[in-house]
Amino acid sequence: MPTITFAYKDFQQLLGKKVSIEEFGDLLVLYAKAEVESYDKRTDEVAVKLDDTNLPYTWCPEGLARFFRGILGQHNGIAKMKVSPGNYKVIVDDSVKNIRPYITAFVAKGRKIDDYLLKQLVQMQEKFCEGYGRRRQKVSIGLYAHKKITFPVHYKAVPPTAAKFIPLDFDKPVNLAEILKQHPKGQQYGWILKGFSNYPLLLDDKGEVLSFPPIINSSSTGRLVVGDSELLFEATGTDEESVNLAASIFAYNLFERGFEIFSATMKYKGRSTTIPALKTEKVKITPQQVEQVTGLNVTSSSLSALLQTAGYNADGNNAIAPPYRADIMHPVDVIEDVAIAYSFDKIADEPLTSYTLGAKDKSVQMINSLRKAAIGMEFQEIFSHILTDKKTLAAAGSSKIVEVENFMSETYSAVRNSLLPQMLDVLSRNKHADYPQKIFEEGIVASAVGSKVAESHSIVLVSAHSAANFTEMKQYLSAMLVPLGASFTIQPAEHPAFIKGRAGSIVVGKKSLGVIGEISPAILAKWGVEMPAAAIELNLNFLLTD
Amino acid sequence: MTPATAHDKNSETAAALHRLEKAVLPHLAKHSSVAEIITTSKMQEVEVMRALHWLQNKGLVKMTEVIEEILLLGKNGQHYSKALLPEVRFLNALKNKPLALSQIKKITSMSDDEIGASIGALMRLRAIQHVSSEAEKTFGLSEAGKEMARGGLKTQKFLSEKRFPAKVKELSDDEKKITTELKMRKDILFDEVVKNRTAVLTEDGKDVLKKAAFTRETTDRLTPEMLVTGKWKNAAFRSYDLTAPAPRVFFGKPQPYREFLEEVREKFVSMGFEEMTGPIVESEFWNMDALFMPQFHSARDIHDAYYIKEPKFATDLPKELVKKVKAAHENGFGTGSKGWRYEFSEEKTSRLIMRSQTTACSSRKLASADLKIPGKYFAIGRCFRYDVIDAKHLADFNQVEGIVLEEGVNLRHMIGLLKLFAKEFCNTDKVKVVPSYFPFTEPSAALYAKHPQLGWIELAGAGVTRPEVTLPLVGKLVPNLTWGIGIDRIAMFKLGLNDIRELFSHDLTFLRNAKVA
Repeated sequence: MPTITFAYKDFQQLLGKKVSIEEFGDLLVLYAKAEVESYDKRTDEVAVKLDDTNLPYTWCPEGLARFFRGILGQHNGIAKMKVSPGNYKVIVDDSVKNIRPYITAFVAKGRKIDDYLLKQLVQMQEKFCEGYGRRRQKVSIGLYAHKKITFPVHYKAVPPTAAKFIPLDFDKPVNLAEILKQHPKGQQYGWILKGFSNYPLLLDDKGEVLSFPPIINSSSTGRLVVGDSELLFEATGTDEESVNLAASIFAYNLFERGFEIFSATMKYKGRSTTIPALKTEKVKITPQQVEQVTGLNVTSSSLSALLQTAGYNADGNNAIAPPYRADIMHPVDVIEDVAIAYSFDKIADEPLTSYTLGAKDKSVQMINSLRKAAIGMEFQEIFSHILTDKKTLAAAGSSKIVEVENFMSETYSAVRNSLLPQMLDVLSRNKHADYPQKIFEEGIVASAVGSKVAESHSIVLVSAHSAANFTEMKQYLSAMLVPLGASFTIQPAEHPAFIKGRAGSIVVGKKSLGVIGEISPAILAKWGVEMPAAAIELNLNFLLTD
Repeated sequence: MTPATAHDKNSETAAALHRLEKAVLPHLAKHSSVAEIITTSKMQEVEVMRALHWLQNKGLVKMTEVIEEILLLGKNGQHYSKALLPEVRFLNALKNKPLALSQIKKITSMSDDEIGASIGALMRLRAIQHVSSEAEKTFGLSEAGKEMARGGLKTQKFLSEKRFPAKVKELSDDEKKITTELKMRKDILFDEVVKNRTAVLTEDGKDVLKKAAFTRETTDRLTPEMLVTGKWKNAAFRSYDLTAPAPRVFFGKPQPYREFLEEVREKFVSMGFEEMTGPIVESEFWNMDALFMPQFHSARDIHDAYYIKEPKFATDLPKELVKKVKAAHENGFGTGSKGWRYEFSEEKTSRLIMRSQTTACSSRKLASADLKIPGKYFAIGRCFRYDVIDAKHLADFNQVEGIVLEEGVNLRHMIGLLKLFAKEFCNTDKVKVVPSYFPFTEPSAALYAKHPQLGWIELAGAGVTRPEVTLPLVGKLVPNLTWGIGIDRIAMFKLGLNDIRELFSHDLTFLRNAKVA
């Protein structure tokens, strides 16, 4: 979910209509899955947060203005664009084929780049590459001062030590392997090239390095500065459609800012493409389909009008999607745009009509009767996290603790396999609260058995007071289970949490399903609890499955 | 009830006196100082005080506090009020003849400090003098000293005979001088300012005292024995002070957040929804892929979900279904969709994670053999996110999500459903339904509801399920809606919390005092 900033005045100029910042906020929410995050009246800077991760053309003031020109009726259909034929070539060597096979490039001329525009270009470059470009792996973009470059440009792959140049922010030449090791960008994006024996390189016809995609530009040719008025755009990546999309979006943005766009030819082995390709896409769409999905009653002509408001061209039963969009997979994607253009706040709601029978999960009733029993026996209910500190858990028998591989904090590093440690946590945190402290929790526990994770419901009851003992817990256990018709026996057992000789297995049928006993002083001391305590923990699956 | 006369009232009051009140009342006729009442009644101070406060509340006693300076015995003072002062022992040793210092020490077996204090005190009284002819320092009694040895020291008399604590204002001039002398010594006497409490019977109090004298002996407790023997027939039961505070007990209570989730469950059942469940350790398949979230989606990053260390992979994925979902991602699976167009990894799809959304229950339900059409489903379940824990974020929280399947169901019904949720969970008709984005629905919408207290809140999200989800899972294109509600915000409001961490609080005092809806 990118957040972008721009001058609101700039947006208004691009939009060609006066809209207050408050109205703009409402428009973003109602039409663009976006919102104003902040607006600084003093600097006129607005920050906009965008929710749609598939619509990168709206991640800039140019694209947002283009979208709203349609919605507000300033313009119908796909935005205007003109590309002048340019005599620029990029020669793509076959050596990049298995590494980073695709490149797009074009040249834009005719407007002095000021500080603000440069910032906007860099912001769009970063947002596109980080989000849509999957942290530069799928797409990375470079911008260069056109005057320093001798065409044709060459895109090829070379051994890591075969090329040397001065990267941005460095003052001496280093080779590609050294860049990955030493340069901050190399350290940040080096993972993309992991496992490759050759690295991509972009050079001009004199052999001057433009950049080492997708890592870093050269400090001599690879830098666009304030005052430049001619620039080379380039995008490399692993997906041709995405590098094309990047070129289209930037071409539209620069065109709408007053640049003249000159095309360039990408010469691959056996084929060539002209960029910006400005490929539109035809999607068949009928009023019936729209009605089926949205319930909106549209005619062919009203559908055409809505499509044009949404920034499409309409051609009979076809919607023509603009080149700066690559998010349309299915007609429903277009239908949503039609509904948005219609405006969600004008769509009347309808009630559901079919009769369906409500029902709780079959385990709920049993769980709730046990909870009620515990509450009736004056136990306070506790509700804890399922993730807990793995250090507090002990593996039982052949089952293993289910641990989180990438935990953020030890406190939430494993799935609990027992509820007892969290009850001890409650006791240890409440030493100054009145006793007796009688607490219980019902919840999910899990452990790994072989190659499978076994989850089950469990209930724990703990009683802490100066005379807490085994008999008391046995009374509670009987009071809970006997009314359910569940008969059990208690067999002596050893358990690390309980006093030896005062711990038992709760056996139902022939299965041991829980433990009961007086908690060992060593465990109480470990948790800093200064009051005797006795406990029951019982796996409930035998009651929940029929 | 008719208004009772003062006379009737006093009789009633007399009959209802507590055991302690009855015990204190007669002493009030003779004493007014609370300290004296305590002494003469031989009751404990707390009992007397409780009884006096009750009597005062009933208007039978008027209590006042007088601030007074009193004189108290210090640690050494207490000792010397029973034993002899060192100077007295010193004086007694010299009764017959002058003695050298070492001999005095031996006879009296006093410490150097005590000897020093004695010499100081006796010199000030001019009771002793040096006998200078001897080699060692030797003391003898003066005339005044001999007098004192016979008659005793005033200081000793004061300590032994005076009753402490003594009121400073009642001391005679002579006593004041002695006090000054003794205060120069360590820990003998000290002053203190005290509140002297007095309690005096009011007119009603005197009347009640009279009447109380004629009331029968009352019984505190009915015993089984009284019932068996019939003694209860002659028993008069003491009336209780029903307004007296009772000691607090902690009874069993449900955890308020869990109870809230139970209410939510009831609500969905009452709206005709059937509950779905699913595991919390879930495969990426059910959690994401079946929901058409591309495997490169940012929410599937190592920084957004919790990955299980061991076992790493699910072994029970339905193979045929995985193939269909794979096709949906790669080419649309014949739904008319282009799909996400990338190479779908079957290894990644079986990777085990902590469930990141309860929508995983929806995908399982859509693919299950017992799916009902029409059908309405909901799930309340724990979800896990890779988040820094703070007042607004938890690693482990609850979500409520579901599906609605019905022939002909569309965006209009979805808006209707969202409005129903606003009514049920925020009791409001004021809503905004705006476009939103979810990978598994198109169109997608977010519901903002105007909560009467919280103002506009984002309450729910919903959408028309994408064909790329429905066709592989259900096997046919049944129109259906997917929805989810942000329930935590409402829970926090209902429970009066500002910090989301308190939903799972381990603070017993907080839980014991929490209001239960």
